[in-house]
Amino acid sequence: MIKTFCEWLQGTAFAQTISETWFPMVESAHVVALTLVAGTIFIVDLRLVGLASRQMRFTQLSDQVLPWTWRAFLLAALTGSMLFAANAMTYYDNVPFRAKMVLLALAGLNMAYFQFVTFRNVAQWDAGKASPAARFAGFASLILWTGVIGFGRWIGFV
Amino acid sequence: MTVMEFSDWLSATSASQFIQVTTWVIPSLQTVHILTLALLFASALMVDLRVLGTGLRSESLRAVADRFIPTIWPCLVVLLITGSLLIVAEPARTLGNPAFYLKMICLAAAIIVTLWLRAFARGSRPVGGLASMLAVVSLLLWATIIVAGRYIAYIESN
Repeated sequence: MIKTFCEWLQGTAFAQTISETWFPMVESAHVVALTLVAGTIFIVDLRLVGLASRQMRFTQLSDQVLPWTWRAFLLAALTGSMLFAANAMTYYDNVPFRAKMVLLALAGLNMAYFQFVTFRNVAQWDAGKASPAARFAGFASLILWTGVIGFGRWIGFV
Repeated sequence: MTVMEFSDWLSATSASQFIQVTTWVIPSLQTVHILTLALLFASALMVDLRVLGTGLRSESLRAVADRFIPTIWPCLVVLLITGSLLIVAEPARTLGNPAFYLKMICLAAAIIVTLWLRAFARGSRPVGGLASMLAVVSLLLWATIIVAGRYIAYIESN
């Protein structure tokens, strides 16, 4: 089912144009976008684990930084989908690619759990040291995004 | 000694030979390089957005610059170390590559622009058109550095 979809996707004229002409440019845009995604997330994570921006209230930092994370993520997802389309069959069978997608999903779940559960009592730790659950979320996010980038880079080496 | 003779000598050293035959070294170095770049680029983004009046407005420009510019320098050190090791690994790929030299020129310019913005942030003059222009140039330079870095893989060395 997924394999059939990948086969169809790679065969489209759109995918072939990317593969033949646009790949290096789209890939460069993907790297620009993903550095901003990971970098802005790290800024917020480092506040959560207590290593940086400790003088700022957490919400003050996250409210102003995370909108840029989402803008960059949109560009990363768009360019990433284009890169995937260009070589869909290869990526389908690529182990680091699959690992990257799993970690990406876990990073999303971690973010959702933080947003809907951990964040509810933010008033208690907004100005000072983050709650243990919030620190854990920051730590998990640092690890997961490091993995996403590591496996992402590894895709080209197998 | 020409650049090519230097490349040949470097690729024959035992350090280079070790990296070339140990398959995980290059992707790992590149991963650390990208993660560090992410933190640097996002830090520069925070300062540039504050100068442009579109980010972190709850803090003064000086507070934002004092928080994020000091992150840039240690990141640059890590980038120079991992970047140098990647050159040791594959000297001819990089040292004969026009994209690499474009990247280095932009890097020098980005450092100057960052120092200039820091002077603005520390000064008492109101932030005007020149500082806004520098912030835009800063973002363009860091993005060009990333794109040129990726293009080292696509442009033929000569």
